[in-house]
Amino acid sequence: MSGGIVSDRTAASEAAGGDGVGLLQQLRQRKAGLVGLSGIAVLLIVAVAAPWLAPHDPASQDLGNVLLPPVWAGGELTYPFGTDAIGRDVLSRLIYGARSSVLISVCAMLLGGTLGVLTGLASGFYGRLVDTVLMRLGDIQLALPFILIAIVILGMMRDRSPIHLILVLGIPAWIVYARVVRSRVLSEREQAYVSAARSLGASNLRQMFRYVLPPASKVVPPIALIDLSHLVIMESTLSFLGFGLTSPSISWGQILADGRQNMIASPWLPVLPGLAIMLTVLTINLAVEGLRDDGTPRRRRRRSDRKAADADRAAAPARLPGREVSIDGGAGGDRDGDGDPRASADDVQGRDGDGDGDLGVRRNGGGGGQAQPLLAVEDLEVEFDTPTGVVEAVRGVSFTVERGRILGIVGESGSGKSVTSFAIMGLLGEQGHVTGGSITFDGTDLTRAPEAVMRGIRGPRIGMMFQNPVGSLNPVLTVGYQIVETLRVNRGMDRATARQVAEEAFGTVGFPDPRHVMRQYPFRLSGGQNQRVMIAMTMALGPDLLLADEPTTALDVTTQAEVIDQLLQVREEHGTGIVLISHDIGLIGEVADEVVVMYAGQVCERGPTETVLNDPGHPYTRALLGAVPQPGAPEAQLAAIPGELPSAQQPLVGCPFADRCDHVMEVCSRRDPALLPLAEDHDVACYLHHEPAAPEQVATR
Amino acid sequence: MSALLEVDDLHKHYRLRGRGWWGQRSVVRAVDGVTLRLERGEALGLVGESGCGKSTLARTLLGLETPDGGSIRFEGRSIDEVEPRWLQRRVQMVFQDPYTTLPPHMSIRRIIAEPLIIHGLAKGDELQRRVDALIADVGLPAAVADRRPRQLSGGQRQRVGIARALALEPSLLIADEAVSALDVSVQAQILNLLRELQERLGLALLFVSHDIGVVTHVSQRIAVMYLGKVVETGPALDVYADPLHPYTRVLMDSVPDPTRRGRDRMRARGDPPDPKDPPSGCAFHPRCPIAVDRCRDEVPLLEDWRPEQHAACHLALEPLDGADTNEVDRSAT
Ligand SMILES: Nc1ncnc2c1ncn2[C@@H]1O[C@H](COP(=O)(O)OP(=O)(O)OP(=O)(O)O)[C@@H](O)[C@H]1O
Ligand code: SF4
Ligand code: SF4
Ligand SMILES: [Mg+2]
Repeated sequence: MSGGIVSDRTAASEAAGGDGVGLLQQLRQRKAGLVGLSGIAVLLIVAVAAPWLAPHDPASQDLGNVLLPPVWAGGELTYPFGTDAIGRDVLSRLIYGARSSVLISVCAMLLGGTLGVLTGLASGFYGRLVDTVLMRLGDIQLALPFILIAIVILGMMRDRSPIHLILVLGIPAWIVYARVVRSRVLSEREQAYVSAARSLGASNLRQMFRYVLPPASKVVPPIALIDLSHLVIMESTLSFLGFGLTSPSISWGQILADGRQNMIASPWLPVLPGLAIMLTVLTINLAVEGLRDDGTPRRRRRRSDRKAADADRAAAPARLPGREVSIDGGAGGDRDGDGDPRASADDVQGRDGDGDGDLGVRRNGGGGGQAQPLLAVEDLEVEFDTPTGVVEAVRGVSFTVERGRILGIVGESGSGKSVTSFAIMGLLGEQGHVTGGSITFDGTDLTRAPEAVMRGIRGPRIGMMFQNPVGSLNPVLTVGYQIVETLRVNRGMDRATARQVAEEAFGTVGFPDPRHVMRQYPFRLSGGQNQRVMIAMTMALGPDLLLADEPTTALDVTTQAEVIDQLLQVREEHGTGIVLISHDIGLIGEVADEVVVMYAGQVCERGPTETVLNDPGHPYTRALLGAVPQPGAPEAQLAAIPGELPSAQQPLVGCPFADRCDHVMEVCSRRDPALLPLAEDHDVACYLHHEPAAPEQVATR
Repeated sequence: MSALLEVDDLHKHYRLRGRGWWGQRSVVRAVDGVTLRLERGEALGLVGESGCGKSTLARTLLGLETPDGGSIRFEGRSIDEVEPRWLQRRVQMVFQDPYTTLPPHMSIRRIIAEPLIIHGLAKGDELQRRVDALIADVGLPAAVADRRPRQLSGGQRQRVGIARALALEPSLLIADEAVSALDVSVQAQILNLLRELQERLGLALLFVSHDIGVVTHVSQRIAVMYLGKVVETGPALDVYADPLHPYTRVLMDSVPDPTRRGRDRMRARGDPPDPKDPPSGCAFHPRCPIAVDRCRDEVPLLEDWRPEQHAACHLALEPLDGADTNEVDRSAT
C-alpha cells in the first residue's frame, strides 16, 4: 500500500530524528540561550568598564569635527561611529549610555525582584489578610497607567540621579514577581516536606526561606529577564521623553532624542542608539528562550511531528535485523475514539486508503475460539530516550493472555510492569519506543499498528485501569457525563441509551444508587468509589482485554478487596482477559491464574500461580514471598532483599539479580540466564536450574 | 512511674462548611474519644482504613493539631503545659511518602542536620559527626550524604526520613504509613530497621498503618480504629489469633493471602460511611456482617472481654469463623 511505503520512507529518514526533532530544538534553544547570556555579560562589562573602554570623554566637544559620519560611511578612525552636532564622540556616548541604561535597568530589576519575591513569599506563605492586602495593592497598581505616573513623579524632580530612576522603575515591578512567586509558594507550602519541617520545630521564617523559597524561586530567572528587557525599554522611553537622567549623565534614550534633531543630515545619529536598544532587548529575549527549556514546558508537538513519531513506532520492528519489512499501513480504520474532528480528517488523508481497516482488525476477533491467544507479547523490548541516556525499561518480555483468564504481573517498582502495559496500549509517549519484539492482540501486531488503529482498540477493545483513579478522570466533569460521553463517542450510542447503559454499569460495580453517583464529581467520591467508576466506565465499552495497572494500590485493604471482587465478577460475566499488574505478590497470588514475575525489565519466572507460589524456582520469587510480613510470627526478621534493582540505564551483564542473590555463582555475573522450562508451563531464568556447571548448588534447592 | 504516653478520651473535631454560602456547617469527629497508653520502649500498632482518624491522632500527638477534648500526657506532663520544643525533642515522626517529605533542594547531610540545627544541639564538626553516625545507624552508605533526595531510591529516602526523625533522640517515634509507599522487598528492609532501632535504642514506636499484616508484624500491642474510635485493642498475637470485633476480622481477611485462595472471607458490606454523618449505635453496623437490631441503637463500649483484650462490640464473644459469618451474612441481608 502506497501509504505504508511512504510512511515507511518518512519513518526511515525521520526515524533517526524521531526525537532528533526534540533534540535539535533543544540544541537550538540552548544555543540561543548561550548567545543571549553571553550578550548580556558583554553588555554588563561594557557598562561597568565604560571609563576604560570609551576612547573619548563623552562630554568633550570637538567643535572642528561636528557631525562626522561613522567610518563605514567615510568618516575618520578617531571617531569610529562619527560625532554629533557639537562634536562629541558617538561611540563613547553610546558606551556611557550603556552604563546608565543597562545598569539602571539591572538595578531596577534587582530591586523589583527582591521586593516582589519577598512580598510574594509572605503573601503565599501567610495567606489570609497579608495575602489579600498585598494582592489588592498589586491589582490597584496594575490598574494605574504606569508611564504617566512615572513622568509626573520624575517631572517634579529637578535633578534626577540614577537612584531616582531605579526607584521609579524598580518598585512598581514587584507585582510581576510577587504574583508568580505567590502562586508557586501556595503550592510549595502545601508540600509534605514543609509540614515535616514544622514537626521538626522549624520556625516560620526558616520554613519560608529554607524550605519554600528555594524551590519556589526557580520561576524567577526567566521572569526577571523578561522584566529586564521591559525595563530597558521603559528607561529609554523616559530618557527619550526628557524624564531620564539629568545631564551630564547620558543614556541611550537621550542620545536618540538628541540625534533626532539632525536626522536628515546624519541619519546614523538616531539609528545607532536605536540599534543599541533593540539589540539589547533582543539579546535578553534570547537568554529568556534559553532559560525556558527546563523551566517552562515546551510547545506541544505539531501534528506532523506526531505522525512521524507514529510512523516511527510502526516501523520500529522493521528496523530490526532479521525481521521482515512489512508495515500494516492500510489497516487504518478510524474508529476514532477521541472525538477530535481534526485528528480524524488528518488520518483519512494521511493513510487510510480503504476505510475497512476496522473490519480488518475485527475479523480476526470473530474466530477467537481457536488456539490463538487473545494477547501474545513476544520478546518485547522498550527503550526511552532521556537526557541522561537510553533507559532500557523492558528487555525481552514474553507472555500470553487467554480469554477469561487473569495474568498477574508482579515485580518491584521500576521493573518495567507499567511500561509493558503502556507499550500494549501504544501509549509510550514521545520518548518511548518499542525496539524489538511483537504484541499480538487478536491477530493484529500492535507494535506496528498505526495510531488510527490504536485509537479504535484503546477503550473499546482493550480497557485500561490505572493506579490513580482520580488522576485518570476529568475533575471538572461529573462521572456520569464522562461515562455517557465515552459511550457515545466509542459506541455511537445516543444519549438516552448511553445513560441507560451507564446506569446499568454503575449498578453492576456495586453502587446502590447509580443515578446519584453519576451526578458526582470525581473529587466527591472516595478512592474506592472512583476506582469502581473506572471499572464501570472501562467495562461499559465491553473490551476483550483489560489492563489493570496497580488498580488497588491507592486503596484501603477493605476497598481493595471489593474492587478485586468486582474484577473477578467482570471476568466471570464477560469472559474478559485480564492483565493484573501489582507489586503485591499476595494479591497476585490470590487472584491470578498465571503469574509473570518481572525483574529489571525481564521475566525471571513464569507459570501457573499455584506452582510459582508453592514451588518458586527463582531466588527472587522466593525472596519476594519471604518479604511479606507474616502476622503470626512477629518475632522473626523479615527476609528483606538487600540492595536494589540494577539501573535501567546500564546494559545488563549476567543475571540482573546477581548482586542481591543468595545463591550467586561465578557464571551468574558473566552470562544472562535464559528463561527455560523447569516443568510443564513453568519457566525460570536462573542457572540454579539450567547450568550443569554448579551441581552442588542445584542439590541444595 | 507514669507511662510514656497516656491519651485519655481524646477528641479532635473538624468543622466543615457545607456547599454554598449558607451551607450547613458539619462536624467530622476525626478522633472521637480515644484512650491509649504506651510504655517506654513499647511498639503499639494503630490500624484502620483511610479516614478513620489514625493520621489525625498521630498529628495531634505530635502537637501539630490542638485537641478539642481529653488529654495527652507525655512522661506525665500534659502537652498543653509544655513548650512545643520540649515535645518535638521527645516525639518525632516518620512520614508516609518518602518522595514528598524530603525537601528536594537540600543535600541528605543537610536534611538530617536540620533538626539538630533548629534545636541548637550541635554545630561544626560535632554536627557532621552526628549526621554521619545517623547515616550509618539507618544503614545508608556514607556516599549518599552529599546527594539530593531525587538521586536516592524509595527505600533509601525512607531511611533518610528515619535518620532525620532520630536526630533529636526522641523517646517516641510515630511512623505514619511509613512503609506503605514502598515495595515489599524494601518494605521488609525498613520494617526490620524500625524493629532493630526500637530494640537497640529502647524507642517507643507508634506504628500507624492500614495493613494489619504489617502492623501485627512490628507491634507488641495493636489498636484497631474505626470512624474515630478504638474498637479493639490488645496484644498483637492475641488479637490476630482471635479477634473479638468483626471489623478486625474484616481487616484481617482483606489482606490478600494466596493460601486463602477460593475460600470465603469475611467482608464488610458497602462503602465506609460518610464521617460527617456517622451511623447511629455501633458505627460499624451498616457494614457489619453479623449486626443485630440492638447494634443500630446502642453504642457498644470498649470492654475487656478477655485479659488485656478489649473490644467495643455487643457480640464480641460470638464465634467469627468463616462458615458462621456466611450464614449470618445471608440472614442479615
Ligand atoms: N517516560 C519515561 N522516560 C524514561 N524512563 C522511563 C519512562 N517511563 C518509565 N521509565 C523507566 O522504565 C523502567 C520501568 O518502569 P515502569 O514504570 O514500567 O516500572 P513498574 O514496574 O511499573 O514500577 P512501579 O511498580 O513503580 O509502577 C524504570 O527504570 C523507569 O525509570
Ligand atoms: S542466575 Fe545466579 S544470580 Fe541469577 S538468580 Fe540464579 S543463582 Fe541467582
Ligand atoms: S456491635 Fe453489632 S454492629 Fe457493631 S460490630 Fe458488634 S455486632 Fe457488628
Ligand atoms: Mg507501574
